Amino acid sequence: MILYLMNNLPCKNVSILNNFGAGALFSQSLGVDILPPPDPKPPRVEFNYSVGFKDLNESLNALEDQDLDALMADLVADISEAEQRTIQAQKETPQKQPHSASLCVPSFSGSTSLGYGTNVAATSQYDDDLPPPPADPVLDLPLPPPPPGPISQEEEEAQAKADKIKLALEKLKEAKVKKLVVKIHMNDNSSKSLMVDERQLLARDVLDNLFEKTHCDCNVDWCLYEIYPELQIERFFEDHENVVEILSDWTRDTENKLLFLEKKEKYAVFKNPQNFYLDNKGKKENKETNEKMNAKNKESLLEESFCGTSVIVPELEGALYLKEDGKKSWKRRYFLLRASGIYYVPKGKTKFENVNIYYGIQCKMKYKAPTDYCFVLKHPQIQKESQYIKYLCCDDARALSQWVTGIRIAKYGKTLYDNYQRATAKAGLASRWTNLGTVNAVPPAPPSTGVKTDPTQANGQLPQATQSMNTALGEDWRHPETTKDKKPGPSLGSHDPGAPREKKNQEM
Amino acid sequence: MAGMKTATGDYIDSSWELRVFIGEEDPEAESLTLRVTGESHIGGVLLKIVEEIKRKQDWSDHAIWWEQKRQWLLQTHWTLDKYGILADARLFFGPQHRPVILRLPNRRALRLRASFSQPLFQAMVAICRLLSIRHPEELSLLRAPEKEKKKKKEKEPEEEVYDLTKVVLVGGVAPASFRGMPAHFSDSAQTEACYHMLSRPQPPPDPLLLQRLPRPSSLLDKTQLHSRWLDSSRCLMQQGVKAGDTLWLRFKYYSFFDLDPKTDPVRLTQLYEQARWDLLLEEIDCTEEEMMVFAALQYHINKLSQSGEVDEPAGTDSGLDDLDAALSNLEVKLEGSAPTDMLDSLTTIPELKDHLRIFRPRKLTLKGYRQHWVVFKETTLSYYKSQEEAPADPIQQLNLKGCEVVPDVNVSGQKFCIKLLVPSPEGMSEIYLRCQDEQQYARWMAGCRLASKGRTMADSSYSSEVQAILAFLSLQRTGGGGGGGSGNHPQGPDASAEGLNPYGLVAPRFQRKFKAKQLTPRILEAHQNVAQLSLSEAQLRFIQAWQSLPDFGISYVVVRFKGSRKDEILGIANNRLIRIDLSVGDVVKTWRFSNMRQWNVNWDIRQVAIEFDEHINVAFSCVSASCRIVHEYIGGYIFLSTRERARGEELDEDLFLQLTGGHEAF
Repeated sequence: MILYLMNNLPCKNVSILNNFGAGALFSQSLGVDILPPPDPKPPRVEFNYSVGFKDLNESLNALEDQDLDALMADLVADISEAEQRTIQAQKETPQKQPHSASLCVPSFSGSTSLGYGTNVAATSQYDDDLPPPPADPVLDLPLPPPPPGPISQEEEEAQAKADKIKLALEKLKEAKVKKLVVKIHMNDNSSKSLMVDERQLLARDVLDNLFEKTHCDCNVDWCLYEIYPELQIERFFEDHENVVEILSDWTRDTENKLLFLEKKEKYAVFKNPQNFYLDNKGKKENKETNEKMNAKNKESLLEESFCGTSVIVPELEGALYLKEDGKKSWKRRYFLLRASGIYYVPKGKTKFENVNIYYGIQCKMKYKAPTDYCFVLKHPQIQKESQYIKYLCCDDARALSQWVTGIRIAKYGKTLYDNYQRATAKAGLASRWTNLGTVNAVPPAPPSTGVKTDPTQANGQLPQATQSMNTALGEDWRHPETTKDKKPGPSLGSHDPGAPREKKNQEM
Repeated sequence: MAGMKTATGDYIDSSWELRVFIGEEDPEAESLTLRVTGESHIGGVLLKIVEEIKRKQDWSDHAIWWEQKRQWLLQTHWTLDKYGILADARLFFGPQHRPVILRLPNRRALRLRASFSQPLFQAMVAICRLLSIRHPEELSLLRAPEKEKKKKKEKEPEEEVYDLTKVVLVGGVAPASFRGMPAHFSDSAQTEACYHMLSRPQPPPDPLLLQRLPRPSSLLDKTQLHSRWLDSSRCLMQQGVKAGDTLWLRFKYYSFFDLDPKTDPVRLTQLYEQARWDLLLEEIDCTEEEMMVFAALQYHINKLSQSGEVDEPAGTDSGLDDLDAALSNLEVKLEGSAPTDMLDSLTTIPELKDHLRIFRPRKLTLKGYRQHWVVFKETTLSYYKSQEEAPADPIQQLNLKGCEVVPDVNVSGQKFCIKLLVPSPEGMSEIYLRCQDEQQYARWMAGCRLASKGRTMADSSYSSEVQAILAFLSLQRTGGGGGGGSGNHPQGPDASAEGLNPYGLVAPRFQRKFKAKQLTPRILEAHQNVAQLSLSEAQLRFIQAWQSLPDFGISYVVVRFKGSRKDEILGIANNRLIRIDLSVGDVVKTWRFSNMRQWNVNWDIRQVAIEFDEHINVAFSCVSASCRIVHEYIGGYIFLSTRERARGEELDEDLFLQLTGGHEAF
């Protein structure tokens, strides 16, 4: 994927300028344009930023007082509305010759220390569905230091503007808007680019957005998938994770990419909870019964595990291979999963708060792992080979899926179930649309409204699902009562010495 | 009217003499002799008795208990014939509600009047209403364990028994709230104190006492408790409970419905207490680290309840608060607090600048701490060779967002270090900051903690964080240091009034493993993570952590499976039955209630037979507890699982009794 993020800017002033991009009015006059290079290898991942310096004077002129005033008014009025207009403006000017503009305000360089990681961000606009325009070679050059000449001529004006900018900056800070454009690879080697805004873009929102763009079947298995080619690890995002936050951890020259694909593992636990909760260390009889578990029992098992006062983490223990502290050897250790962390003997413990769980790919080749069923615990910010990454290796695929899922449950708790329910609601809605044959008639709504309407859709869908479950169970529970009249009551058993067994029908 | 006689005094009707003892089951009680016939109604007999006694008293609670049949004669319209009462019947005319002493989950004793005539289930509903505990179906009573004969003549300290026998509840309506407690508690100072005992957590127990209390050493020991449960479908009288007896009140079914800190202060507190004692008495296992979290929560909860920071439901106080707020508002208005200051404080983010000694562990270097000029701004830490070089590029700049902050403190050794594990794309950078004194340490530590969560020192919690760290350090001085001299011996509860005695907070096996001065820092460390919680939040967190323990909520019974020659353990949890090997403790097999088709009890041979889906049949006889108890557990859990859908406070008592009741029911 390509991520256009104003990252570690050599010239901090540029970043300030780019903040204005968030304001609708500037989308045209400033048109900070970020042009991706032609991709020689499609999967290549790039952090790219580029700001043109061709007509600095022109852009300075563009930033007139009234523009600043307008920006302020805009920011103060309603940030989210401004947002919408940005998107709109973006759509209205798809094919225009890209303007390249930049501005440096010298009075700023000392007073602000905005940098990567605070709240500075970049926006860029170009039409989503169009192939990226050919790159301008100039833009790919490293940024030259800002030419001081033209600025000194307008020092006074700049000073006055600086104050306004400062104020605007504070407003922006309050809004804490961080935006970036994300390129997501599809499974058919194509890719889509999305504008991502920190405040609303959870992985779920991105997925919903992609559903609209791709007209896929919207089933719950679709996920955003993060791949680290260098470390040979990958994982799917949980729906509640903030995409912007995760992507901010990637380095600028990263090869990491983001995929949009289906993964059965994502919600496997909710489809077949018995494989995770009732697995009796692979005993034969259990496996047989497990495969036949009916939907009603699954529901009750899920309700039990996820809807109590505290989430029940599957009981998991067993021997795994561990590679840690940057050592090359794999040691077999006995592991135990608890809600408070993963423990192993001889003594060791890892909490999940600060690590994400990844699948290790071809660890047998790369690290001489005993098997290919590896998972990896890594701090999200670590991007390179490090002794702080823990590699674990299971005996078989079943164990791998149990451990990974178990750890996810311990780490995320009920959120996982909430995510699943939202995903099912979404999928249910989508399939209903398909049935009505209106899927093509549905206008592709702007992403922000899609996000807004989502909760109501969820509300419309969820109760139905739970209701049907409730009635099914309710009937069952009432069963003993209704049969009471026909059958001898439980008390009869004792009075009648001939029938000492007391029958109670508990069909469940 | 029975007792017609001729002039000579001979009875000419079929009447006979019925002797009724007055009072509770006491053979020397005064007795009355009435003339009755078989057609006399119980109501009439009652009336006659009262007339005969000639004492003015409220007799409404009195009823007749038939000793031989162990039965109350509560159907006043029934005749003596219908009950089958003859002249030889030993009848006692006594109150239906009698005082018992309840040993609560918090180990305090409470005397109250319980119904001796209703099924225990109904009696529990009434008791819980009195104690204002919702969902009485989750609780039940146990017989108190038989007291071991004391070898030494130890003086048991006089124990305070709270008394609620005089409190009368108006039937029907839910108790209204008054002055932040149910109205019936607010009548006198005594009952008020009782409510506080119920709704506020107790201080940690004396560690010495904790060591003396019996603890289960094996699974077998854990089965003992469960043999003492009383039967829910029979009344106390029928189960041989006498007035003034001591009974234990406990949460029996580990399925707590709709736990709400706002409406359930008593329930939450008692549940917390039960969980706490479960952990302290090693009824349930946990890891060392989990124990530290539990200890920290106990410490925190105790501190809050001692300091009176109880989040009382908004009662009359809220009015005062409003007034206060209005006054301070007015004050601000009059003084006209400068808006510029406000803006400044909002926009300027405080920073820390100081000389600190820094150590960066690297391979193949022997360098120790070196003095640097360190600037901490927003969430970023930069350090320079000296203050003069500060405007230039720093030696290193670290963004602490998402980093791990580990204190490395030894108060007596005057060592105040902060270890930072800062994530970066290349891995973690390890860096140690060494502060000169407590004050400096507290400021920097608080900054690091906030920064690791992505917050700056402008955050409103900064100053409280600094205070918390200072308090933590001063506690280390008093708490940890005090235990040093006495070695491994636990200190009495009064060893340090303000400080913390870690031995009252952890299970005895950790007391043996660690010295107090080793425990204190670990507990305080864990405390840092929970220090912001309110009382009820902390209690809830404690209960949740307890619930996530793998062995949570399993009641153990010794059984013998059909076809097996040895005793095994049956674990009963809210969703499953577990067959456990008695000697090793391994889980042999798990059956889930959701797969259960039916269960039958053969009362004659004390055998429970269960049929699961796919024609799996299981049968076992109960060894350690009566099969009633096992049967009631299973039925009880199934009853509880129906609640989810019923929604609401209404209890389907019939269903409960039908599911749990045995052959005596109905």
